[in-house]
Amino acid sequence: MSTGSHSLATQFPRAVARRVRQLPRLQASFSGARHVSQTAEDRPPLTEEQWQDMQSERGTFQSFMDTFSRYGSTQTRDNTFQPHHTLHRPVAPNQLTLSALMAAGAHLGHSKSLMNPNFTPYAYGIRAGITVIDMDHTLPLLRRAAKVVRGVAAKAGSVVFVGTSPELSTVVRKAAERMGEYGYHVGSKWLPGTLTNRLAMFGAGTVENVQVTPDLVIFLNPLANLHAIRECAQNHIPTVGIVDSNVDPRIVMYPIPANDESVKTAELVAGVLSVAGREGVEISKEEANRRKERAKFVARMTSPNSSRREPAVA
Amino acid sequence: MVRRIATQVHKQASRLLLQKFIKREPAWFQAVLDHPPLPLPPREPPIRQDYDLPPQDQLAARTAPAKRMRPASRRPLPIHYLEDDVRTQFFKDHPFEAFRPRMLVEGGEVEAEHQIRGESWTRLRQRGSNPSPEDAIRFAVNLHESHNIPITHAYSAAIAQFRALRSEHEVSVRVALMEAETYGIKLGPSMTERMFEEEDKALKSWSKNKQADAMANTARKRWRMIPEQVGEPSAWTKGEHYIRLWQEGVRPSYAPTLATNTTKSASPPAVGGPPSQPPFPPSGNKRHANRRNPKPPVPKLKSIMTGIPP
Repeated sequence: MSTGSHSLATQFPRAVARRVRQLPRLQASFSGARHVSQTAEDRPPLTEEQWQDMQSERGTFQSFMDTFSRYGSTQTRDNTFQPHHTLHRPVAPNQLTLSALMAAGAHLGHSKSLMNPNFTPYAYGIRAGITVIDMDHTLPLLRRAAKVVRGVAAKAGSVVFVGTSPELSTVVRKAAERMGEYGYHVGSKWLPGTLTNRLAMFGAGTVENVQVTPDLVIFLNPLANLHAIRECAQNHIPTVGIVDSNVDPRIVMYPIPANDESVKTAELVAGVLSVAGREGVEISKEEANRRKERAKFVARMTSPNSSRREPAVA
Repeated sequence: MVRRIATQVHKQASRLLLQKFIKREPAWFQAVLDHPPLPLPPREPPIRQDYDLPPQDQLAARTAPAKRMRPASRRPLPIHYLEDDVRTQFFKDHPFEAFRPRMLVEGGEVEAEHQIRGESWTRLRQRGSNPSPEDAIRFAVNLHESHNIPITHAYSAAIAQFRALRSEHEVSVRVALMEAETYGIKLGPSMTERMFEEEDKALKSWSKNKQADAMANTARKRWRMIPEQVGEPSAWTKGEHYIRLWQEGVRPSYAPTLATNTTKSASPPAVGGPPSQPPFPPSGNKRHANRRNPKPPVPKLKSIMTGIPP
């Protein structure tokens, strides 16, 4: 929790205002109260005694506030966690903590008997009959995937977020929206043949004019989208995916070992990757602007009729 | 189709670029070259420390000379703490502590490490006057770890202090309640009373409102039977209505006819009504009677089958 800077006055502005209104003999005489509609000229002037009373009241109130500001809670609505923050307040990759991942249940894998043998390097241990995933591998792999997403977006590449369950559809939609024109999402079924049968899917006109294959695909539930992963591999598209303990980590190019059944984990991962993607989009826009400026400058310099600073050598 | 592998997409793409099969470098190419995918690490679980390993898997036990030559297991080891054993014993000794309510509100981070750690924790009362089971368990393990007391004695000491604090708390709560009742506090229903109310509500939902059920069931059916009279007639009819219909040759209609909606109500009159017909049918074979004397036009009974198929 934050310390120090939140005094009682900032914590409870309404209580302070109420206290000011309750101070006796001020309401009628002193103009500090907000509800008095009189102008400065209408109010009767205070007597010396009234002024001193008002000062002592204020002093009492202020010392009360000063004494008790040191105690009590510094918790406000803004600095308190609420469950919807994982979806609506995504964090940057370097701000995501291991503690946050564990609070989301990212370390809980599947049953011990269902563990894929190739997942062993990412399995920390067994507890309560389930595989516990090693978070020391998860965080670096997630950051690596974030760098890839940023790099792809920086080159104006398109990224598709795939989460084909009812709970994940909102997550992928928000993640795609964060990336603007370079972000896409698949919230319900991935139609088979989207990439391998694109002529039939999109039509000849679209396929000729527009690049319909994405440049990166992120799977929040890869086990349910193995056909899509195969299509991506056939079309030479890199893939990122949350792999659980019953999955071979090599099904995607950048596996993120974590719990694929936890919606909060998916929100965290998609949030981190989409924030990185948004940074990449900004980089690409800057780059585009710079190129445009450069082109304008070059055009101005090389055009024959332009006035130049240095006159041509005679 | 050539087998395409997800982890080798970048290698395949660079081969195709080299041979000019792909004209333009894809947008992901440079990013993947800058941050290449890591190969799968060697197939063994990570190195573990003793604090969360069961005793048989800790370092001392592992490095002891094995009785039989066996390759090292590559399975992940169990996660086990000393607190688990203490917890099992604690809840065996105090089963009702498990019924205390616990808050399951989700947080943004995991809880901080438990505070009872180190030599300064000598009495459970330092934790407060209302210790939780977790406090007692942690206190027992701390006595064992920091004060070098054998775990059995540490457990005995911890639960003795726990029980003393619990009884103090319970007595104070009871006394406070008696005091409040003396001063006239009005309390809501207790848990027992609330559960009784819930049970009554559940039992009431089983009682059958026969009329409502019958009407609901009839409305749901495609083919419905709506009897003219429910239950027994109020007076003895002597079967006169039945005999009259038989004599007239009126047969019941088993299937509704949509065209003929003219129905006569054929409800049997009670005893005491006009005896218009002789009580017994005329003699003779009914079949011959039918051939020689064709049946008179049959007055339609009120159709008893009113279901009309959709």
